[in-house]
Amino acid sequence: MRRWPVVGFMAVVGLLVHVPLRAHHGGAAFDVGKTVVLKGTVKEWLYSNPHCLLRLEVAAADGTVVVWIAEGQAPNTIFPAGYRKDSFTPGDQVTVTVEPAKEDRPMGRILESVLANGKKLGRASSAGAIP
Amino acid sequence: MAGLVVMAWVFPAHTSAQSRAPGGWLIPSYSPPPVTDANRKPAPRRSLAGTWIPFGRFGVATQAGGVASRPNNGRPENELPFTPFGLELYKSHKALEGVDAVRPADGNDPRNLCEPLGMPRSNHYNLNVTQIFENEHKVVILYQYDNRWRVIWTDGRQLPTLVDGAVELGGEIREQRFFGYSVGVWVDDFTLEVQTVGTMPEDRVWLDSTGRPISDQVRVIERFHRLDDDTMEWSETIDDPKVYTEPWETMRLTMRSHDTRTDVMEYYCSPVEQQNYNRFFGNDVSGK
Repeated sequence: MRRWPVVGFMAVVGLLVHVPLRAHHGGAAFDVGKTVVLKGTVKEWLYSNPHCLLRLEVAAADGTVVVWIAEGQAPNTIFPAGYRKDSFTPGDQVTVTVEPAKEDRPMGRILESVLANGKKLGRASSAGAIP
Repeated sequence: MAGLVVMAWVFPAHTSAQSRAPGGWLIPSYSPPPVTDANRKPAPRRSLAGTWIPFGRFGVATQAGGVASRPNNGRPENELPFTPFGLELYKSHKALEGVDAVRPADGNDPRNLCEPLGMPRSNHYNLNVTQIFENEHKVVILYQYDNRWRVIWTDGRQLPTLVDGAVELGGEIREQRFFGYSVGVWVDDFTLEVQTVGTMPEDRVWLDSTGRPISDQVRVIERFHRLDDDTMEWSETIDDPKVYTEPWETMRLTMRSHDTRTDVMEYYCSPVEQQNYNRFFGNDVSGK
């Protein structure tokens, strides 16, 4: 298994806005109510339990590249929202909106995604996909 | 077993306009058409067989915020009647959900070790696509999460008697089980009442994902009530004098019937994948 690099700083990309979100899995680690829009290059997509993980390289304004890690819920849970094993492939240019982790870590929970083919997928980080 | 298989194939299929079946593998329909006076069909007598998915408000199936009837959200009406022991037990649980949630690396939920959830937590953890089979002796529930199953005996056998750390059956002492010992009685042609005792002790299982406790002295009472051919109400009350001062209702879910050919995705707990998650995300996001 490859060891993902740990990045010790955070670049805020896109816009930060306040939207109400319901508390859900592991909420204590996240800055609930904030969103960050990430535009970057997919490095890896793990379609696994208990959470799917997306590794994304994002270029900051100063040209520095930051590796973000974003989680989705389990495959079974995000399947109805359209997420599949091949939704992200390395090299894809995608836009992913996340709810960021606290303390400026480049981590978050996927709220929505615009895939390389322009397809938009909804919430991947809560029970919202379940009827 | 052959009887159970036959029951699955003869149960009438329910379809909806939203269903898709790429390659013949039917995907669950998450927006089934509403049941109305025009399309409502009577429920079959004494049958729960089928493929069922909870229906209703946002997130009702997952119960991430605690049991469906009383989520752990800090509201006064959802405060639980803890005994002193039960309250201490609750405080010792470090859950990742609910008002007292901790960060992923700080939790002590036995789920994260892939321990069996057992009864009654299996009713309160991602209760999604649920398959029910039955024959003249028993009802079998197949839970989606971690491919777990349980048997409810409907052949008139005796419910075991709870004793300290075990159950007693006809004069014999028997072991505790994660899913306990379940016996069901048809109280009318459309309602099966089930009692479960003999579950695992409080250091092995939780009630829900917010760390509410449950003990091996619990008696779980479930009612499966068929409203019509497409709809069933599944309710649960727990009576656990070791942890709670009075019985209380934990859930009352409306289940919708789905085509029994629906493919059920795996949703498993893998220690290896859990370890990877902690390594790649859970520890870092917790500042570890």
